[in-house]
Amino acid sequence: MAAVLKVENLKKTYGSGRLAVEALKGIDLTVNAGDLVALLGPSGSGKTTLLLCVSLILEPTAGKISLDGETLFDHGWQNVDIRQVRLQKIGFIFQARNLIPFLTAMENVILPLDLMGVERAEAVRRARELLEYMEISERADYLPALMSGGEQQRVAIARALAGSPKLVLADEPTGALDSVRGMKVMELLKSIAREKQTAVICVTHDERMIEGFDSIFRLKDGQIMLDT
Amino acid sequence: MDLAIRDIRQHLGRFLATVVGIGLLFAIVLSMNGIYRGFVFEGLSLINITDPDLWVVERYRGGPINEQSILPEFFHYSVAAIPGVEKASPFILYPVERYVAGKSRRFTIIGYDVFTGLGGPKKLAAGRPITQAHYEAVAHENLSLRLGENFRLGLHTYTVVGLTKEGTSPDGEPLLYLSLPDAQEVIFLPDNEEVRNQRLRVYQSLVRPGFFSPQEAEKYLSRDAIDTHRINAVLVRLAPGAQAQEVARSIRDYLYLSVFTTPEQIDIMFKGRLNRPRMQLYLFRILLLIVCVVIIAMVVFTLTMEKIRSIAVMKLIGSPNRVIIRLIMEQSILLTACSYLIGWIIIHNTHQLWPRLVLLTPGDDLTTLGLALVGGIIASLLGIWKALKTPPALALGEQ
Repeated sequence: MAAVLKVENLKKTYGSGRLAVEALKGIDLTVNAGDLVALLGPSGSGKTTLLLCVSLILEPTAGKISLDGETLFDHGWQNVDIRQVRLQKIGFIFQARNLIPFLTAMENVILPLDLMGVERAEAVRRARELLEYMEISERADYLPALMSGGEQQRVAIARALAGSPKLVLADEPTGALDSVRGMKVMELLKSIAREKQTAVICVTHDERMIEGFDSIFRLKDGQIMLDT
Repeated sequence: MDLAIRDIRQHLGRFLATVVGIGLLFAIVLSMNGIYRGFVFEGLSLINITDPDLWVVERYRGGPINEQSILPEFFHYSVAAIPGVEKASPFILYPVERYVAGKSRRFTIIGYDVFTGLGGPKKLAAGRPITQAHYEAVAHENLSLRLGENFRLGLHTYTVVGLTKEGTSPDGEPLLYLSLPDAQEVIFLPDNEEVRNQRLRVYQSLVRPGFFSPQEAEKYLSRDAIDTHRINAVLVRLAPGAQAQEVARSIRDYLYLSVFTTPEQIDIMFKGRLNRPRMQLYLFRILLLIVCVVIIAMVVFTLTMEKIRSIAVMKLIGSPNRVIIRLIMEQSILLTACSYLIGWIIIHNTHQLWPRLVLLTPGDDLTTLGLALVGGIIASLLGIWKALKTPPALALGEQ
């Protein structure tokens, strides 16, 4: 199966000299299409730094990142439009849901499609389809403030999937939900990985939620300690 | 998808409240424009209405409107004799406060030669011009006199034969046109009590030991006639083909008087009496515009800060900077344009209620709108700067 994300010997050091802190100490990670991967680790283990590097937000100190066969970082950013890569190949799901509060559920899902230049009618059709897939279509015209936490997270997942990304990065997607709703979100992520052949990397601290994941990486002190 | 409109839609109440608040400020800016224009218009209206070819005034004086100028009345005969002069007409003006139409009012009396017509009202809203040498008047509508109404002024009763809407004194006071002799009497003739007091003062200064006897003093007093034959300027209409500067030079050289053309008279007013208040008003309206822009900048910055996390999310999912810039700038421009519209509506519906002329011109309105929109764009820069500086990592809870 083709590797969607390939991270090789990725290093990140904050600061310099005696104050230098090595947050990532040579991470190797390969995620294939349809893989559901969990990143576990205590606070300060480097999982957020890894997520930021893979999200192309934070520049690594050394190493290599390839996404969908394209090298994006190789001891420096390659000549690619990182914003376009994020828009077209990566979907983001956050702990705090982070829907745009002044847009309805439907408009939140349409937003990335709009930014990609998808025609309005096609964007609406795809957004409606995704909301139906997330079983939240009856809330399409609601503003986020009028929806429950679980509903908002489902809209956020729909938004992350809107551009048919190769990779979905989920940062503590169940962090703000109760266990029942959290389990439902995790089930959704699993079905997305299976049905849409999307690689999903999920950062979490809750081990109860990762049952059925394909791979689990445990980070400690900037290194992957356990790969199961 | 228009993000700016959608954001405003969610905060519609606050947006409207802000628009009304800034709109009131814009109403003040526009009113200051109107006050400025009105001030200049009124300051020059008497010159523009009178509009002779030349103003002849007392030597070294910038009169008669910018500065007081007194000439003997007969000077207009001398001016009329200068080659190139077709008509030379005496002219006086004097601001007074008198009891007219039921209350004490400030107005300016204009005295002119009703037979040459120079210096008289140009357009009448009702009635006819003054045709009699005495006891007729043409009044500005703001004096609240009715056509045909008789009113007392000084020693005599006058009849309003005409009404005019145009022109005010440079201080914005309405005008009352009288024939020259009537105006001279109203302005220069003291009342009987004042005449008695004056005669008594002169009498007492004459009847002193070693000076005059009471009989001799009485004799002198009878010669002490009060002279009302004074004017403030001579207005000149040039003969066809005559050169204004040539005629002016002749009057200066032969009669030792100062002469100005109407454009020079306007220039004197601009640089003299109108200058400092005009500059003050000008400065004030610029300051007000700056205040508006600063307030809009603060509001836009606050609106931006409120959605900074949303902006971070947009940046994270790959929003180009132009989408974010457009969101902020569009809100700023909308805020500015809507506020301007509110201000425009307010001032255009209330300017008639102001005590002095508020002259609103489309040119000023458009210039203010243009400046306001430029200001709105400038105002958005602070918000845009903050938004562009926001790291996408903020969406993930990172700073």
